[in-house]
Amino acid sequence: MSRKGVGLAAFDRSRITSAQYASHGNNLRSSHSTSLATQLSVFRSLLQQFAQTHGKDIRSNPSFRAEFARMCAAIGVDPLASSSGASGKDGGSFWSQMLGGSVNDFYFELAVKVVEVCGATREENGGLIGVKEVRDRIMSTRIEGGAEITEDDILRAVNTLKPLGSSYSTLTVGNKLYIRSIPKELNTDQSAVLEAAQLLGYVTVSMLMANLHWPRARAKTAIDDLVSESMLWVDKQCDEWEYWNPGFMLEVEEDANGR
Amino acid sequence: MTTLSPSTTFTYPRHYNFPPFFTRQPQLTTFHAQCRKWSLLIQAYCRFHRLFRLPLDSPLFTNERLNRRLVPEDARAVLDFMRSEGRAEWVRGGEERSVAWVWWRTPEEWAGIIGDWVEETAQKNTVLTLYELTEGEATVSQEFHGMDPEVLQRALAILVKRGKAQVFGQEDQQGVKFF
Repeated sequence: MSRKGVGLAAFDRSRITSAQYASHGNNLRSSHSTSLATQLSVFRSLLQQFAQTHGKDIRSNPSFRAEFARMCAAIGVDPLASSSGASGKDGGSFWSQMLGGSVNDFYFELAVKVVEVCGATREENGGLIGVKEVRDRIMSTRIEGGAEITEDDILRAVNTLKPLGSSYSTLTVGNKLYIRSIPKELNTDQSAVLEAAQLLGYVTVSMLMANLHWPRARAKTAIDDLVSESMLWVDKQCDEWEYWNPGFMLEVEEDANGR
Repeated sequence: MTTLSPSTTFTYPRHYNFPPFFTRQPQLTTFHAQCRKWSLLIQAYCRFHRLFRLPLDSPLFTNERLNRRLVPEDARAVLDFMRSEGRAEWVRGGEERSVAWVWWRTPEEWAGIIGDWVEETAQKNTVLTLYELTEGEATVSQEFHGMDPEVLQRALAILVKRGKAQVFGQEDQQGVKFF
């Protein structure tokens, strides 16, 4: 029944209306945020419950663990957010609060093993080791029935080492992921040689010359550098010396057992 | 006459099929890693075959399938490395250094094992011939059964030094009394 006001009162009315809209908006917003907060806390407690009931599975079943980590990533929770991380005002990571640290511990323990493997093999590979080899080595020392671990877990574990300001990092050569445990940069030529050595397990000077169109001196230099870093092993008992990727020490036998 | 072994063929580690394993690595740290791997392999191989002496031309150093060979000169370097670990010793300290004792158990360890066996079987104050000790029926199940006589002498010498045994008799008629 209202009619468009044309007098002065119309100004008041529009002011009142907009004020009412604003207050209603505020009400809506705050009820929205309380309901969101409720949802979030419900979700947190559910997640906590879930994590507690399935803590064992998370630790022991790699695909379960990966799914769980994926779910957390999807909702913007970093399970491994370190307690020293900037956002943690409440001390202790989200995870360690939720799981009594068991998932956190899982990765920290794994990180310790990664460090051990890297240290034990540094002499033979110059501090550069494939993620898969690290996994294989860790798995091979586990007692039967021990929890299965995946390369994905290894990578997460390496990330937990970051806050220590350590020299551990991952790097990709070709299509293979490596863990580097000494702070040494590879130049592009060295990376190219390592990449080539992944294919057959070894390279020769003439292979590099033919495939990368390098002059002999360049190929020789790149190889010699890698040999002096323990990143390549030489086999002199063939027509042309072959320079082997030490990572193949674990692989050579797979197609040739029985000796 | 040796004790039953769980498997009849020696399982070589994977790196035994890694061709550069048979070339002395020019880089010192790499060579060190290589020596450690050889040392473990040699000990495992000798333990499996119950070898006490290893000549430089042992088949272990040749991988026929790969057509690769650790040449005697390099094998000697590996055994010198093992010597520094206390895991090998040249036979008769020979200048030619062509055969080495491989201590997958050191003489001290052998002495301990024999001493324990004497204790367990209550044979203190009994006299045994050396032949009985390593070849007799009573020791068939023991690790030292069939042991190299020279290594046995070394182990017994250690027990003698500790005052736990006394060796007497002639060359091939030796006996030992344990205390």
